[in-house]
Amino acid sequence: MVTSRIGAWLTAARRSLTSTVGLLLELLGIGPDVDPHTRVTFRAIADAVVPETPALAEEIGPEHVAGGLAIDLDEFAITYVDDGFQFGLPHLGPQGNIPIADPIAHVLDAAALTLVERGDNEAEPSLDRALSLLGPDDPSAAKTEDAVGPFAKLSRRDRLRAIAILDEFEVEFTPTDHDLLELDAGLVGQLVVGFMEMIYYSEWQGYDEFTQPPSRREHPNDPAAVQSWRQTGFPGFANGYAALRGYVGTADGPLGDGDAWTTIDESTGVAIRREPGSFRENEYDTSGYEEPFPVESG
Amino acid sequence: MVENAYDAVVVGAGGDGPVTAWKLAEAGLSVLVLEAGPFHGNEQWPNPHEEPGGEASSSVEDLSGDLLDEQFTTRELEMITNLVFGPADHERGFWFRKFPGDGAILQCAGVGGTTLHYTGCHPRAYPASIDEQGHWPIEYADLVPYYREVEEMCEVAPAPVTAKEELFFRGAEAAGWDLIEDLNVTEPGYRPQPNAIRQPDEKLHVDGDYDGEFTYPDVEGDTLALGNIAGNPHPRGAPFEEKAKRASNVSFVPAALRTDNVTIRPNAFVTDVLTETPRGDTPTATGVEFRDTWSGATERVDAEVVVLAAGAIETPRLWLNADLPENDWVGRGLTIHFGDNVMGLWDGDDLEETIGKPTVDQHEGQDIAARLDYPGVGMLQTVGTAPGIGAILGFGASASGFAFQNDPADAPWDTMGRLAGSDLKRLLSDYRRMLQVLVVSDDRPHQRNGVSVAPGASDEHGPIPIVNYEPSEGDRKRRDELAETAAEILREAGASHVHRSDSPPTALHVHSTMRMGKVVDEACEAYDVDRLFVADHSALANGVGGANPTNTGQALAARTGEKIVERHF
Ligand SMILES: Cc1cc2nc3c(=O)[nH]c(=O)nc-3n(C[C@H](O)[C@H](O)[C@H](O)COP(=O)(O)OP(=O)(O)OC[C@H]3O[C@@H](n4cnc5c(N)ncnc54)[C@H](O)[C@@H]3O)c2cc1C
Repeated sequence: MVTSRIGAWLTAARRSLTSTVGLLLELLGIGPDVDPHTRVTFRAIADAVVPETPALAEEIGPEHVAGGLAIDLDEFAITYVDDGFQFGLPHLGPQGNIPIADPIAHVLDAAALTLVERGDNEAEPSLDRALSLLGPDDPSAAKTEDAVGPFAKLSRRDRLRAIAILDEFEVEFTPTDHDLLELDAGLVGQLVVGFMEMIYYSEWQGYDEFTQPPSRREHPNDPAAVQSWRQTGFPGFANGYAALRGYVGTADGPLGDGDAWTTIDESTGVAIRREPGSFRENEYDTSGYEEPFPVESG
Repeated sequence: MVENAYDAVVVGAGGDGPVTAWKLAEAGLSVLVLEAGPFHGNEQWPNPHEEPGGEASSSVEDLSGDLLDEQFTTRELEMITNLVFGPADHERGFWFRKFPGDGAILQCAGVGGTTLHYTGCHPRAYPASIDEQGHWPIEYADLVPYYREVEEMCEVAPAPVTAKEELFFRGAEAAGWDLIEDLNVTEPGYRPQPNAIRQPDEKLHVDGDYDGEFTYPDVEGDTLALGNIAGNPHPRGAPFEEKAKRASNVSFVPAALRTDNVTIRPNAFVTDVLTETPRGDTPTATGVEFRDTWSGATERVDAEVVVLAAGAIETPRLWLNADLPENDWVGRGLTIHFGDNVMGLWDGDDLEETIGKPTVDQHEGQDIAARLDYPGVGMLQTVGTAPGIGAILGFGASASGFAFQNDPADAPWDTMGRLAGSDLKRLLSDYRRMLQVLVVSDDRPHQRNGVSVAPGASDEHGPIPIVNYEPSEGDRKRRDELAETAAEILREAGASHVHRSDSPPTALHVHSTMRMGKVVDEACEAYDVDRLFVADHSALANGVGGANPTNTGQALAARTGEKIVERHF
């Protein structure tokens, strides 16, 4: 059963998470920053969600080739999810934040195993594919081999398919002795796809250092500093635009006034007018109301 | 200084709490407002996310437009991270809630509450949702005088038209919908949004060749740049109360402080409601216990009346975590306007023909400025976003897997599902030629949906909210009808590609978890606890028909303020 397998992964993940020794080391700032398995898995996520896409060069232009790995999206995503949620219970993690990158990586492995077990993968899992995700600053392939989990071995499309499996079910929600919740599988999809996309397409890359206190963050607000802005054409944040066309309304209605700047429809007289107006405080009658669709009782 | 006792204590300085506080203070009562999040734009807290700052603010003189400019950068990721429901301390993450599937609840912490994120859309409820759906013990007519008052305070006016609104209006008109010019909407049709955002400076007309600064005092009112979700501070340089977006921190908070009867204490998370049971069985509220989110210290304050305004998730959570009587409807009946996103993509040549330029430019104009009303079904509204928020709201989540897994052959959209990989990159390369339409459905209260707590699943403020939401078949049908309507409008406006997200339940609008008629009476006082009132969106008896809820939440909160004075003072 999928659920029980994921449940087992979660239990293991939780155990490693609450292991007092690990936490103590983390609190003291000793120990590895990022677990190699987590690192490879997050690279595999970034590479699937916002991949490098050489084929787009010819189709829409060379600026659309680079993907998330080119700007260390994986690294930031790990920091963001590890610092992102708060239980405020001091024994659970630094500042009460609960580090969840490691358990997320394990949940994705469980999903990958399920995909392969069902025979729904389009390509064979491959260790080499996973190792090719490593960057120049990562430990050598030989050292990382053991850390590669099933998720990172999948093809890009199959990684997405594995993530989609997580939507199928809700992990049983059981409070534990340690006031800690089991991770919700749906949240994993939201974090690794939704948040990953939000971060990538946001201004994030432009900061000197996002983890600085807000008053000390610098941002150039310039597409030259943000790869995704160059890909979307977003010009950066502006204080304003001279973009006013007017106010929609009819000649004798209250919404807009003055000349028609452009006509929306000749027959109804709806136009965009130069001057602002206001809404009408109208009489109303709801006696003819009928429910357009059936209504179940509460 | 925070005293030990007040006439009234209000829990939460969000969209609605400050409205009740203002009403009570106008009547001469002393009021303490306790807010879990920070106070932005206030000289007591020059760096609200970095240090504890002052204790409380009781003077309108503390408000500073310059500080708001500094703190509200409008950068989207940064502002979401700063504003979403969590402690002020930037080193600590969001407060965790459990929500089903890969949906999410989006609420803010801080003075202004979720109106810091909101896009200012301030329509009234559909009259039929109050008078004909059978949920409300009061009538729409009872709310109308309060709507008028709130609309005046928030300067609600028809939203201006830029390219993206013109595109939508052309599509709606071509699809055969009528223009609505009214405040009280009983028939379907399209309208400019009634927005609580000052209308833009006339200088900003496209024909005006304006090439000056977009800052105050060169321009006043709205400056037509996106930024509402990121806490709009425009026009930059303006004094606090001259900011264009009339979120509750800009509209009702200064008005409340100006009475000299109100103290607002941010960084104060209320964890318990104190009661006494002097006679009979019905307890009487006597005060609250709260925790300072910086120091962790707990304090108590006494009050003649306690008003819960912590929002539709935290108000029931607080009730459930406090030792208050059981009631089968506390936390139940949650409505979230079960939403969806439908996106249109255009070819430059077609745009040139319809709107006279080859791009839609969704980053120009107000975020949400055009709508389609559909009483009994819900509403549609255009949404302009910066690309990051656009990606997560429009493409990052779906209840039907990835687009490549779906074949929408007979559907009115070309693609459906979550987008990632080269599909996503290709689509977002057309950011400036796309327009999203947000589907907002009139989902109905069901007792299975709502907030519960489980002992053991706790954070520093007690058991966390566990939220359940499963729409009914009728709710799904209403949403499908709206998604199809959106697709048709986008096509009529010339879109060459239409994409539907089939979003998972995502809660931007959260209401009806402490419903009038079930948990609270017609004055919004709890049936089971005397002198305990609810003045936030949880008291709404349903989802007001799918119209954006804040105007109604605030109108009801204003009415509740008056009822409190009538009953107890
Ligand atoms: C992106 C976005 C856009 C939106 N746009 C619109 C729009 O255009 N129009 C519209 O009508 N609506 C809009 N909404 C919804 C609207 O913002 C909310 O419906 C409204 O703010 C709800 O008001 P409220 O008072 O019920 O709760 P909130 O505004 O959420 O206020 C609750 C307050 O209570 C505080 N609090 C919570 N728990 C405690 C506690 N235990 N102790 C002390 N304080 C506590 C919170 O920190 C918060 O400040 C939008 C929402 C989002 C997310």
